[in-house]
Amino acid sequence: MAQRAVWLISREPGTPFCSTVRFSRRYPTVEKRAKVFNGASYVPIPEDGPFLKALLFELRLLDDDEDFIESRDSCSHINKTSVYGLLIGGGELWPVVAFLKNNMIYACVPLVEQTLSPHPPLISISGISQGFELLFGVQDFLSLSQKNDTELNTKLNQLPDLLLQACPFGTLLDANLQNSLDSINFASVTHSQKQPAWKVGTYKGKPQVSISITEKVKSMQYDKQDIADTWQVVGTVTCKCDLEGIMPNVTISLSLPTNGSPLQDILVHPCVTSLDSAILTSSSIDAMDDSAFSGPYKFPLTPPLESFNLCYYTSQVPVPPILGFYQMKEEEIQVKITVNLKLHESVKNNFEFCEAHIPFYNRGPITHVEYKVSFGQLEVFREKSSLVWIIGQKFPKSMEINLSGTVTFGAKSHEKQSFDEICIGGTAYLKLHFRILDYTLTGCYADQHSVQVFASGKPKISTHRKLISSDYYIWNSKAPAPVTYGSLLL
Amino acid sequence: MGPLSRETWAQRLAAFRASPSAFMAGPEGEDLGRDLLSELRSDKLSEQTKVSLLALSLEYPAQLWPDATAAEAAATSLLDTLVLLPPRPSALRRPLLLAATTALVAGDALGPTSEASRRLLPLLLGLASGRDLGRGFGPASEQRPLQATACECLRELESCKPGLLGGCLGLLRGLLGQEGPVQPLSLLLALALRNTLVIQARARARAGLQGLLMAGDTPSGGDPWNWALAEEGDARLQPQAPSWPAAEEECGLAVLEPTPEEARELRAAVAQLLDTSYLLTPVAQAQLLWLLGWALRGLRGQTPVLFKPQLVRLLGTAQLTLLHAVLALKAAFGEALFTAQDEALLLRRLTVAAQHPALPLPAHLFHLHCLLSFPENWPLGPTGEEAAPLLLGPRLCRGLLPSLLHDPMALLARLHLLCLLCAEDEEKEEKGQDWSPRHYLEELLAGLRQRAALDGGPRASATLCFQASYLVVQCLATQPTVLTPLTHGLARLYRARPVLAPHFVDLLDRVGPELGEPLRVALRQEVVSRPGRDEALRWHLQILAEVADGNAQSATLGFLGAAAAHCTDWGLQQALLRVCRALLRAGVGGGLADLLQALARQWEDPDGRDHARLYYILLAHLAGPKLGVALGPSPAAPALASSLVAENQGFAAVLMVQEAPAPIRLSVGPHRAAGPGPVLQLHVEVLEPAYSLELRFRVEGQVYAPLGAVHVPCLCPGRPCRPLLLPLQPRRPAPTRLDVRALYTTPTGLTCHAHLPPLPVNFADLFLPFPQAPEGDKLGFFEELWDSCLPKGAESRLWCPLGPQGLEALVSRHLEPFVVVAQPPTSYHIAIRLPPDSRLLLRLEAAQEDGVPVALRTDDWAVLPLAGDYLRGLSAAV
Repeated sequence: MAQRAVWLISREPGTPFCSTVRFSRRYPTVEKRAKVFNGASYVPIPEDGPFLKALLFELRLLDDDEDFIESRDSCSHINKTSVYGLLIGGGELWPVVAFLKNNMIYACVPLVEQTLSPHPPLISISGISQGFELLFGVQDFLSLSQKNDTELNTKLNQLPDLLLQACPFGTLLDANLQNSLDSINFASVTHSQKQPAWKVGTYKGKPQVSISITEKVKSMQYDKQDIADTWQVVGTVTCKCDLEGIMPNVTISLSLPTNGSPLQDILVHPCVTSLDSAILTSSSIDAMDDSAFSGPYKFPLTPPLESFNLCYYTSQVPVPPILGFYQMKEEEIQVKITVNLKLHESVKNNFEFCEAHIPFYNRGPITHVEYKVSFGQLEVFREKSSLVWIIGQKFPKSMEINLSGTVTFGAKSHEKQSFDEICIGGTAYLKLHFRILDYTLTGCYADQHSVQVFASGKPKISTHRKLISSDYYIWNSKAPAPVTYGSLLL
Repeated sequence: MGPLSRETWAQRLAAFRASPSAFMAGPEGEDLGRDLLSELRSDKLSEQTKVSLLALSLEYPAQLWPDATAAEAAATSLLDTLVLLPPRPSALRRPLLLAATTALVAGDALGPTSEASRRLLPLLLGLASGRDLGRGFGPASEQRPLQATACECLRELESCKPGLLGGCLGLLRGLLGQEGPVQPLSLLLALALRNTLVIQARARARAGLQGLLMAGDTPSGGDPWNWALAEEGDARLQPQAPSWPAAEEECGLAVLEPTPEEARELRAAVAQLLDTSYLLTPVAQAQLLWLLGWALRGLRGQTPVLFKPQLVRLLGTAQLTLLHAVLALKAAFGEALFTAQDEALLLRRLTVAAQHPALPLPAHLFHLHCLLSFPENWPLGPTGEEAAPLLLGPRLCRGLLPSLLHDPMALLARLHLLCLLCAEDEEKEEKGQDWSPRHYLEELLAGLRQRAALDGGPRASATLCFQASYLVVQCLATQPTVLTPLTHGLARLYRARPVLAPHFVDLLDRVGPELGEPLRVALRQEVVSRPGRDEALRWHLQILAEVADGNAQSATLGFLGAAAAHCTDWGLQQALLRVCRALLRAGVGGGLADLLQALARQWEDPDGRDHARLYYILLAHLAGPKLGVALGPSPAAPALASSLVAENQGFAAVLMVQEAPAPIRLSVGPHRAAGPGPVLQLHVEVLEPAYSLELRFRVEGQVYAPLGAVHVPCLCPGRPCRPLLLPLQPRRPAPTRLDVRALYTTPTGLTCHAHLPPLPVNFADLFLPFPQAPEGDKLGFFEELWDSCLPKGAESRLWCPLGPQGLEALVSRHLEPFVVVAQPPTSYHIAIRLPPDSRLLLRLEAAQEDGVPVALRTDDWAVLPLAGDYLRGLSAAV
């Protein structure tokens, strides 16, 4: 269950290998056990320099893509998880859990309590999930309300102390590093017996509960006979419960209107104490029918101090909020485009913003555009070879808008224009970006009466909702487009 | 060294961290450990700096204090520092405890004889129990964190010395029931309980489990440390969460048969731990479940239903560790804890988690791995291989199938699942369904190839395409409906982008004949059907070197002939020669000779020309098998990257004679006294097959004429070989030794040379009989010879001792062929011809009990001493 070592590596242009080890921590007592358990297959934890180089090579982050290198490019060198074997000093350091996120590489090496050759299956190694959880925890901590490099550096400087608290001997005690930070600061608070380990202190002040539901809608639209359009809603419910007492009990219910779309694939926060089996089993895998459980979705819980994600869900709404088509035809150095977008009548026609981004990949810069829009304005980004159609806050009464035009491109210069592996030839897309406040596509809501608090004082309850687009693609219907298996099942 | 400032320390620590080994090898390395300990007590440094010093000692104790003595001293010093801290809040107490623990464990100093261990352990247990340790251990506000830290230290000690806390189970239970911090105590108790159970099971000894669990607040009778139990466990460290297959082999806890009272107490302890587990952080809950699951697995009288109330709560969460811990319970208990419906629910949750948009990609991939390694109640396939669980039907998988938009790792993981589905689908060939999984797979591979074919695209997309193809072949090698389009598609990819040749060569080297054979044919066709003069020539040649064989000779040679003119630089020429090598090896003859001759004339580069000529000479002079070996991979250095070096070494090995230890044993057989000259009869034995054996002899002292070589076509171990006859032509009748060398070919085609031990030629080996005397007058014939020896010869008389067998036996054994006149058992006249032209005549007469007087004459006085030695040695020779 323990980790032998942890690293944080930032990607920085201008440094050797464009990377710097920003933090590393080794656990010698765990290493001691690794040596015994791994026996002849034991490979010691290397120093930072060699580790960095080997990891970057394996992650294909060294800029030596030119030549075929067998140990990296061989067809049998297949990685299907974020767990790698690094060739270091003639041995293979395995398993190295590592991933790149926001220009930061997170890596650790879990202890395996047996010989490493042959590799035991990952599922049987408890340290793998613990390692992931540690790295996710560090990632959450670094990304939480981080705005600039100074803040990042402050947080990185806090890491040694935090890990001393959260992972003193390599066995992770708490993946929530913010919690550890608080516990350092809360040290003087006297604890009582039943204090949970995930709650370092108690709240003092006016009781209040805040619940916000954020739904993201994604879609793939093709406007083709043989390929079905797909769309999906992904919801996140975030709560902050400022309540007095050590273990206040709260029940939060999410409700749907009569024509709402049932919530599926519900994953809850560990602080939820019990779960209705209908919530546990409602899943997008099953075919939808009228018997699907449609709430209310009750979540009894004892909340932690900090803001937390009460649950995630998905939902299959009957229609996409905006249905459209995009037609693009290539004619020598120019392309003709036609775009049509239609807002569904059931959707709240009041956007915070709504834009359609139309990029042109693997072409030269835009030299000339002739266009006609029925609504909104078009902005041209010549060097980036893209158009942005700013639709604004509202669709017109007809709920339908369109754009047509001709775009001419200059000569392609390899350095400037971004290469895209998918948008080749006529394969192209437009991507919608929009946000609607105080609205959810499923209709899901939490009102004041849906929150029960078993604690002293009546809390002030505030609720928020919003809908955001995410990966909302409309593909050129005049050319092949990448499909998922789901799109083929008509 | 005097006290260092904060900045100096910061620099020193940074230098150390940059490369600990380099720092320790430098001038400051030696003092670092000592300085660090003394600086901890300095008043000048801030607490923050001291914490950073302690952090260093937590990570690198082995570098700072490399042996047990130094580690013991360091731990003692750290404990002294701790005791000497003023009784006000300090950030140093926790790290000091951690550092002392780490130093003892990492330095191998932990043990009953270590003074520091004897100080640290009671201190930790005292702190963990929340006892008031008096002054020096800080204000009340620090008690709680210190209590937790002490528990963590104890847990680490128990991890590294399993069984150490075997005597504290009761105490820990008591603390957990009272006011102690829940998480550290729970984890410590769970670990100590598990270790105790496993060690007792292994030792087949029961020290009263109930007693251990029930022992009250204070450990009974003085020292609570169970060093004996720890020694027991020390022989084998305890996996806290053993990997599943390893745990299967473990003899398990089944041998431990707790009494009903013990079982009840154990159940109560486990229930106590599980009931409060929701107070633990998710990662700690997962650890607790792994520990308890594997502690109770197989223990008689313990049903796993205790875990059941926790499961629903755990299954609902998005936490990777919790789901993983549930899977561990599933693996540990199987059907005893999970009914078929539970199993189905768990699979569904896993399927959801493997694709839930709210979870990050690494979690998706790990869940997908868990899905394909799912511990089923009733697995059908072989264990250890990834397979789709039975309950995971195509419907459940629908959302898990790959698409071109996925990240490479996700694509490969999902592709694997798709392949498994296609393999299952093989039997029930889908009818009328447009989008079968197989069809989808084909489309996907086509998409990947299209991406890889993009000019200037990154290597990663080419690699992905080949990895996907390889994965498909691994899973679906038996399905021609998949392999045929794959072959055509790959051939088209090559046509579009020959620069991917190294990927093709790699793929061909790794796949079986199912794809390899047709792909070779398709690629060869692809290459030779196009004129080779563009910039892709070097790739074409690389492919041809891999795929060229005896087939389609004329087309291949035609292509090479046309390409030769365009091979203007050394690299291209070498690439073309490599193809020639492949053809030579494949046994292509006539046309190739013409091509090589043309190359040797046509090319300007001397290296290319020489190689072409060399290949031509090899082709003209070496037989097929030898040629194959000569051009095959070098036995001397198969791993050398440079083809030229490898080639030269191959030639050197094959075309030169290797010096080798002799696998041949040569011995002289019985003497054959017949024929015109003496002949040695040789027996040959071999330890390994040898072909074309040639034995060469050299006579020491040149007493014989030079000897001819003896040839044997083939020798095999265990198969008898007819004796070899070696005619001798003595120049003088004298014994000598023959120096022997063997030249032979090994089964691998190497020619070897070996020096064999010298062969002795004895005086008696030269003996020849005289031509048959006239039948009537044998005595007269002998007397004539006898008289003819003098006067130029020599005469002697000597005593030949007889063994127990007597004269008759002696003569019949050694001298039979040479007897002219015999009057057994007392008198023999013997005439021996000694080539080149000497004679030795013996009269053995009037034999007595223990010997016979011998009168001898010879016409060559030099023979006299040899004859004397010979006769005296006869009785000794059996």
